Amino acid sequence: MTGRCGVVVAHGRLADGLLSALSRVAGEQNSLWALSNEGLAGADLEAQITSILADRCAGREAYLLSDMEGGSCGQACRRLLAKGTVKAVLYGVNLPLLVEFVFLQDEAFERFVTAAVEKGRRALGVHA
Amino acid sequence: MSVVLFRVDERLIHGQVVVGWARQLRPRRIIVVDDALAEDELEQSIYRTGIPEGIDADFWSEREAVRALPGVLKSSERVFVLTADLATMAQLTLEVEGIREVNVGCLHHGDGRRVLPYVRLDEGDERLIDEMSDRGVRVVARDVPSSAPTQLGAQARG
Repeated sequence: MTGRCGVVVAHGRLADGLLSALSRVAGEQNSLWALSNEGLAGADLEAQITSILADRCAGREAYLLSDMEGGSCGQACRRLLAKGTVKAVLYGVNLPLLVEFVFLQDEAFERFVTAAVEKGRRALGVHA
Repeated sequence: MSVVLFRVDERLIHGQVVVGWARQLRPRRIIVVDDALAEDELEQSIYRTGIPEGIDADFWSEREAVRALPGVLKSSERVFVLTADLATMAQLTLEVEGIREVNVGCLHHGDGRRVLPYVRLDEGDERLIDEMSDRGVRVVARDVPSSAPTQLGAQARG
């Protein structure tokens, strides 16, 4: 394997915004790309994701990261997982999760996905 | 009225429906009417992941819907009825008594005329909307409750 890469698929401009924020804290990277579902029907969204993966992720292990499991973005990701297009789909994407995605590239699969999702989960909190 | 929303939306159960509309109208059940989906358990499981706790979902064929919707309309249960296309909804308005208004959400697909950022309609779509309007059904585009409603159909076009 020569690394991992993924597409962040989310509503509105969230994916672009997250990757913009990621580049500020982690520097420029070439393992994640952003896609919005704006104006895209289900099959078109799947086609766009597949096209990005073919262009940018050839030869690498492909992942999808989405904002909500049950939203149209998450549903498109799940369909591509069912087709075997990607290795896994991570939901509830946030900045700490993306940082782990970038920096845990060399970890084994189980540790990689578990640590990334756990980091994102533990980032949630409140002080009042 | 027990069915609180009849909606045409190519995405069926998704964020606008379960966040926007469901928080406003608080359905207990979402009925998706789609012949292909009624036979496809994988697709049903994908759609079910988006449904909040406390809301049930059913996936019915058009034939099942025509048979069972009259009973649902008479019940006191709060229900959303969703179809992915105008043709299915138009058929329901033809065969099921009591559908007075149809909400149109995302219809991006195809090369039709862009009516709104989230609605494209080709000639066949316009004809189906006019048929529903002629039967006394108001067809209103509105992606989320906070958006302004836009009435569709020949009457609205003037």
